[in-house]
This record gives sequence, C-alpha cells and structure tokens, in this order.
Amino acid sequence: MKKSAWGRSKAPWLVTALLLASVGPQVAAQNEPITLNFYSEGDVNVQDLWQKTLIPMYQKAHPNIKINLVFSAHGTSSQSTLDRMAGAQKANKPSGVDLLEGNVPDAGEAGLLEKLDTRKVPLLSRVEPNTLARAQSYGVPYRGSSVVLAYDSNRVKNPPQTLDALIAWINKNPGQFTYNAPDSGGSGNAFVTRILRLGIDPASSSFFETDYDASKEKQWDKGFALLKQLAPNLYNGGQYSKNNVETLQLLGKGAIAMGPVWSDQALSYMKQGLLPPNIKLVQIRPAFYGGSSYVGVSKDSQNKQAAYDFLNWLLSSDVQAIVADQMNGYPGVRLQYMPKEVQTKYGSIAKDFSFNFSSKFNSDMNRLWYERIAGRQ
Amino acid sequence: MVRAHRWSAVSRARSKEALVGLLLVAPPTLVLLFLVVIPAWQAVTFSLGIVPADNVAYNSSLNLIRSDTPTLAVFRRLFATRSFTQNLGLTFFVTFATMTLLTLVSYALALYARFNRGRLSGLVRTLYLIPMFVPAIIAGYALTIFYGDHGVFQAALNRMGLPYHSPIGAGWGIVLGQLWVSIPFAVLMLSSGLDGVAEEQVEVARDAGASFWVILWRILLPLNFIPLLIVLTFTFIGVFGSFTIPYLLGGNAPQMLGVSMQLNFSAFRQQQIAVALAVFSFLVCAVAGYLYVYATTRRQQGAA
Repeated sequence: MKKSAWGRSKAPWLVTALLLASVGPQVAAQNEPITLNFYSEGDVNVQDLWQKTLIPMYQKAHPNIKINLVFSAHGTSSQSTLDRMAGAQKANKPSGVDLLEGNVPDAGEAGLLEKLDTRKVPLLSRVEPNTLARAQSYGVPYRGSSVVLAYDSNRVKNPPQTLDALIAWINKNPGQFTYNAPDSGGSGNAFVTRILRLGIDPASSSFFETDYDASKEKQWDKGFALLKQLAPNLYNGGQYSKNNVETLQLLGKGAIAMGPVWSDQALSYMKQGLLPPNIKLVQIRPAFYGGSSYVGVSKDSQNKQAAYDFLNWLLSSDVQAIVADQMNGYPGVRLQYMPKEVQTKYGSIAKDFSFNFSSKFNSDMNRLWYERIAGRQ
Repeated sequence: MVRAHRWSAVSRARSKEALVGLLLVAPPTLVLLFLVVIPAWQAVTFSLGIVPADNVAYNSSLNLIRSDTPTLAVFRRLFATRSFTQNLGLTFFVTFATMTLLTLVSYALALYARFNRGRLSGLVRTLYLIPMFVPAIIAGYALTIFYGDHGVFQAALNRMGLPYHSPIGAGWGIVLGQLWVSIPFAVLMLSSGLDGVAEEQVEVARDAGASFWVILWRILLPLNFIPLLIVLTFTFIGVFGSFTIPYLLGGNAPQMLGVSMQLNFSAFRQQQIAVALAVFSFLVCAVAGYLYVYATTRRQQGAA
C-alpha cells in the first residue's frame, strides 16, 4: 500500500505522513489530525446510527480522527459517487472518498475499492465467510437485515407461512395488501424478486444473483403474469405504496392488513411506538431476500490504515451489540461472538434469508415492472 | 496632422470601449458555454449513438446503442415503448390542463386586483404571492397531506357524509400542484400588463355603455396579449419539463417525462434513454419558444 501511494504522488507532506505511518498508526494518529470522508446511503435510521451514535463514539475514543459523513438518502446520489470515484481514478487524482457504504460489490469490481483480509482488518475472522464472499471481500459486513412479512394480528389470525399461502391470501382478501414500487425500496423489491423467482429454473438461480444476461429475463414472464393478476386485489384496487416507510404507515393506519417490510425498520418502528402492538412479523418459506450492509475502503484513500482501524472497531463485540440493538439488525459477526441477549434475539432468524438479483438484473426488473405492472388497474 | 491625431484618439477610445464590452460579455458567455452549450451538445450526440469514451456515466448505460455515425436508433427504441406513449400523453394532458386552468384563474385574480382597490383586494394580492415563497417540495407535501388519501380534506368531507376520491397519485393531482406553484408568476405578469392599459380607454368604453365582458373582450384581452403569451409559453416549458411536483404528486404509471427521465437514469440504468428523453423534451420546448418569439416579433412589427 505504501508503495502504490508513493508512486502516485510525490508531495512532500505525503512523505512525512508515510514515515509516520511506518512507525505505526498510533503515532501518526497522535501527530496529525486525519479526516476520513465516509460516503454512506440508506434510510433515516442508517443516517441516525452513524451521525448520532457510532461516529461520535469513535471520535471520542480517537480524538485525532474526524469522520466526515456524506449521506445519500435512499442512495439517490450513490451512482454519482461511484462515477466520481471512477473519474478520479482515471484522472489519477484522489476522489476524496475514503470509506464507502452502499453498492460495495459493484464498486469493488470496478476496481475502486481495496480487497480486505484479516491482515488489514483482523476481526474479519469473526465474519461468516459466505457473507464476506457476497461482496468479494471488498467490504466489511457490519449489519444485516431481511425483508419479512408484517401483518395485523387483529385481522389476520393465521398468517401465511409460505409464498403460495401468501398469494392465496392476497387473492382472498382484496384491498388488504400492497408493496412499494421495486425501485423505491427493498421491501417491495424483495416481494417482486421473490415472485419472479417462481419462473426461474433452479440451475440459473445463482446466475441471477451474480451475473447478467438480458436473454435470461424470459424466465421472469411467469412472475410478471402473476403480479399483473394480483394487481387488482391490492390496496385501493391496485395502488402501490411509495416506499418502505409508506407500507409501514399504511399498516399502522390500518389501511392494509399485510405487507412486506424490512425486519430492522419494522422492529425500530415498533420500539418507538410508531406501529401498534398488533403488528407482527413472520418470515415465509422460501424467504424474502436480505442482505448485509458493507463498508469498503477506497483504493485511492490517503488514510487507509485509519480506515482499516475504523472498520476493525466496527466489528468489535460492544459496537456490534449497539448496532444490533439500535438498528434491530442482525450482527455482522457470527452470533457466537455476541452477548447472550443478542444471541437469543436473533438466533432463529438471523440467517434465514435469500439473496437479491445482481444490480443489472435489478435495473431491468425495475424497468419491466414499470412497463408491465405499474399504474392503477 | 491635428486631424490625424484626433482620429487615432477616437479609434483608440472605440477599441477600448469594445474591449470593455467584450470583458463584460465574457463571463455570461463562458458560463453559458461550459454549463449549457457543451453538456447539451454532448447529450445530443450521445442520444444519437455517439458514446464518449471518457464519460463513465454514459458508458455504464444498459441497452447502450453505439455508433460511429449519428443514428436515430435510440429515439426509435424510445418511441416504440408503450410506456413512452402513455407518459407523453400524461405530460401533454397535465401541461395543457394547467395552461387552461392557470389562464382562467390568474386572469380572474389579475382583473380583480386591477379593478378593486379595497382592503379585501389587498389581501387577495398578498395571498396569491404566497406560493412564490414556498418551495415546490414543501407545497407538494402539504398538498399530499391535505388532499391525499386519509388526508384533512377527506376527513372533513367524510364528516359531512360526502364521498371523496383523492386526485393525488393521478393526473389531476399533478395539475393541482402545478397550478398552485404557477399562480404568482402568471398573475404578476398579467397584472403588469393590465396596469399598462390606460384608465381612459376603459372609462371611455364604459361611458359608451360597454358591458364588462365587451371591455374585456375588445380592449383588455387584445391589449394584454403579449403578457398572456409569455404566461402560456413559460407555463408550457415549465410544466412540460417539471420534476418535483409530478414526482411528489403523481402515481406509478403513467408518469410525466421528467420523472421518467430520472427513473431511466438511475433505477433502470438506461442513461442513454434518459438523455434521449431530455433531448426530446428540449426539442418540444424549443418549438414552443420559437412560436412565442415568432408571434411577439410579428406583433411588434405589425404595431410599428
């Protein structure tokens, strides 16, 4: 890492910084205030987690490190961040991005992120290897969550346990279910993905998660036909919620009795009293997708060691316990490294989720949904 | 000798003047060149299939059409999709509905403010300016909360036993929002025109026994034609390419072109289609702009 930084820039201050870094990160940190630019994305709860809890906590323990959070709500400007990083790399200039949360696998594949290992981030040894492999080791998975089915237990006594039962329930109870447009939030996206999987042959299942070939999208026809058939039986005769939050609000108002929601978001809403106690969660079989949130280190970061240290801190047990508690998300490290309460809270459901489509397949899924399904019926 | 000296002094003063003029005009020209002309030119060529190698956003587009010579293939593909036809239909519907309603409402307001000078008309004049100081995004949320499903308006109507079907999420909802944000500019424009109509002309007509409608039709409307044309053109261009209001108040489908552009750019990863949509919108608005310029210059020539 030192060599490549040396090759790129010969600014004298960098020499000093590298000399200090070679003595040890602690010394460098003590002598020179470091700013880490952290580009993140997600819903308000993610922003709160960083802005109000984790970053102040880290800065208190490491006074010379300043973490500058640049947050993109719902990831609306994450594409431009990636474009910026790619542009900077092309022009051989620093992009100003040190840490990146969001589409880490794609950014890594585009050569914008460092590959991580236990040498750089020792606590990665506690992470499930499969979870790390999902992002090709380009990021640290620091929390996970999945989409589950939320229902009003006053009106639904026996919630569906399988996908078939869910479809049957929607058709039998018109106007009681809806989901958000797949581009506007993961919960509706997971519902559409789960339905489209009905037509995908098992051999291609993992291809849809990692690769891209538009000719394979013929396998979605069955799923789209089903979504079209379900549409008139949705809320208000075919109205979709605007995003993850609106589904929760419709549930809370009693406008619908069931809908797909993110586990962490729903649990947070319940904890804050934004959802009445009669709203319950259940995971169906086969499960909706879930995923981990990854934070990666930019290849052109000038403060890689500080970034690695931050990621390592993120995986320590006490920080993970805070993340699990505040986000109601599954911890990033294996449950055996977590306190007893966290183990009992998530023991049975934390691993129970499927995967989403690769981002290019997902873009096409969004487009085809708008072309074939969207609009009042 | 003296004359020659004077001549050179004059030409020196002239060239100095010219230099100052150039310096003054340089900043806006440069801004226009770098922020408008060059990106617009790139967008046009990109929509014609010429993909710049160094533009990452353009190169990562799905369903990219590449060509060495300009081709209309991108536009052919765009025009062939059913959703484009529907989106264009909604865009024209919202644009013309807004133009019609806006003209009626703002003309009424402008006439009221012109011919009534009481305390009430002062209040009206203040009220119609309010939307100018409220950002469109706030207005959008406010309208959703008030007129949307389970909103305040519905609660009030339901209490009186009246049924209600919210326009929010459909075409009329967008028209409502566009109307709200467009009223201040339209009324100001029309009012300034009406203020320009000489009081005597109206008085004379009134003395001759002309009714209000005759005065309106024969005097006010013709004399106030240019401001009306400005309002119509600007509303057309503004609404046709709008994003915030249709994004907040529209439904999933069909969508106005501005929202569709954004979806194509980010959610569908079809940057080329998004750019082609932008070029198409620009052309439509350019036609409206041309009609406006043509009409005003002809009228001025006719008047002269």
